[in-house]
Amino acid sequence: MIEVKKVNKSFTLFNQNNAKITVFKNLNFKVEPGEIVALKGPSGVGKSSILKMIYGSYIIDKGAIIINNKNIATLSAQEILKLRKTSIGYVSQFLKVIPRISALDVIMEPLLNSGDNKNNAYKKSIKLLKDLNIEKNLWHLSPLTFSGGEQQRINIARGFIKDLPYLLLDEPTASLDSKNRDIIINLIKAKSNRGVSIIGIFHDEYSRKKLNVREIDLNIETKH
Amino acid sequence: MISPLLNVTNLSKSYDNIVGCKNISMSLYPGEVLGIVGESGSGKTTLINCLSGNLEPDRGKIIFNINNKETDFLNISESEKRKFIRTDLAFVHQNPRDGLRLNVSAGGNIGEKLMSVGNRHYGNIRSLATKWMNKVEIDKNRIDDLPITFSGGMLQRLQIAKNLITSPNVIFMDEPTGGLDVSVQARVLDLVRSLVNELNLTVIIVSHDLAVIRLLADKMIVMKNGAVIESGLSDQVLEDPQQEYTQLLVSSVLHV
Repeated sequence: MIEVKKVNKSFTLFNQNNAKITVFKNLNFKVEPGEIVALKGPSGVGKSSILKMIYGSYIIDKGAIIINNKNIATLSAQEILKLRKTSIGYVSQFLKVIPRISALDVIMEPLLNSGDNKNNAYKKSIKLLKDLNIEKNLWHLSPLTFSGGEQQRINIARGFIKDLPYLLLDEPTASLDSKNRDIIINLIKAKSNRGVSIIGIFHDEYSRKKLNVREIDLNIETKH
Repeated sequence: MISPLLNVTNLSKSYDNIVGCKNISMSLYPGEVLGIVGESGSGKTTLINCLSGNLEPDRGKIIFNINNKETDFLNISESEKRKFIRTDLAFVHQNPRDGLRLNVSAGGNIGEKLMSVGNRHYGNIRSLATKWMNKVEIDKNRIDDLPITFSGGMLQRLQIAKNLITSPNVIFMDEPTGGLDVSVQARVLDLVRSLVNELNLTVIIVSHDLAVIRLLADKMIVMKNGAVIESGLSDQVLEDPQQEYTQLLVSSVLHV
């Protein structure tokens, strides 16, 4: 379970006249195992910020974020690294890769980093590439040259390759055609059926409906 | 919970009246990559020179804990220290010419490092050197060539091979891609990154290039005027910097 408790988050921009931007005051919600929660609200309301706070990329001012009975807000850097490795998958909005690394290697990497053997990682990655409908002639090329939709699927594959109990998804179905969107939706469903707690940002009504999400409207949840 | 591989407490070093670094405390766990950023003169190089034994700090403690054996780095005899540096540490210089002997063949440079930790069998040394040339993507037929015939990128890769071949426990890198062309930089970075993953290396890397840190480092520290002003997970420090100077640093990066 993921539990967000009485969280406050603001940004102080020192180099812009110390402007203080309050994003959340007293944010509270829970995500049960197997549940899919969709964060809703207009652009700038803090949807991605929530994912980043849970992942530990953003520091919260107040409150607690509990994952695996641990409060992210009080963990040391190496404890967060460990928690990410064993428990939290994060699919960012855009794929960040370096030149020269093949799509296959990008996907295998999280498995290899947690000590999985090469053969096993290879087999799993190939299966996922096939499931995601990525053409075989692309597997050994750098995703930098891929189309937006292909890059996004590689990004998802990288985030989905491990069996982790928590998944954070930042617009996983954006820039995909309807066929590939359905493939992703089914993969997300399969994760949820296995008990994974999922928090996502889904721009389209279709995905939210198909995934049978519980919506959290940030305009209502956060009293600015 | 595993104990840190390196624990630094209140480390300070001045040059006469000029502060090199002051009151630095930090820890590093096995398999972690720590990035050190800051403007020139902020004390980055002083810090890694102290940690790697190239400089004697004025005050502080440096404790290495390798395979459950604690080494109080600043309180061991000179000969123990030399041996420790030789077998457990490695230093990749910004300028590969500082880390290589240019009048000794490529294979000789690598072999020399192996011999320094006790390898004597010529055949083994040569085959290991060949294997590492291959790992860092240098044609093995160049093994008997002098490094002066190598390009800058090749030299840097040779220096990396030389440093990693003895499986050191902590690797220091001072701007390893600093003097290279952008295209060559990507290749060296990519190499470092894959070696870090494959061999689960523990690395301390100094760079003024935030993209390099983002790519390679799990954790980072930001230095200013000799002090650490901010530290944390790399993505956290870069995406949600808490200090004025770090915000300035991050917001000054041009995005292509």
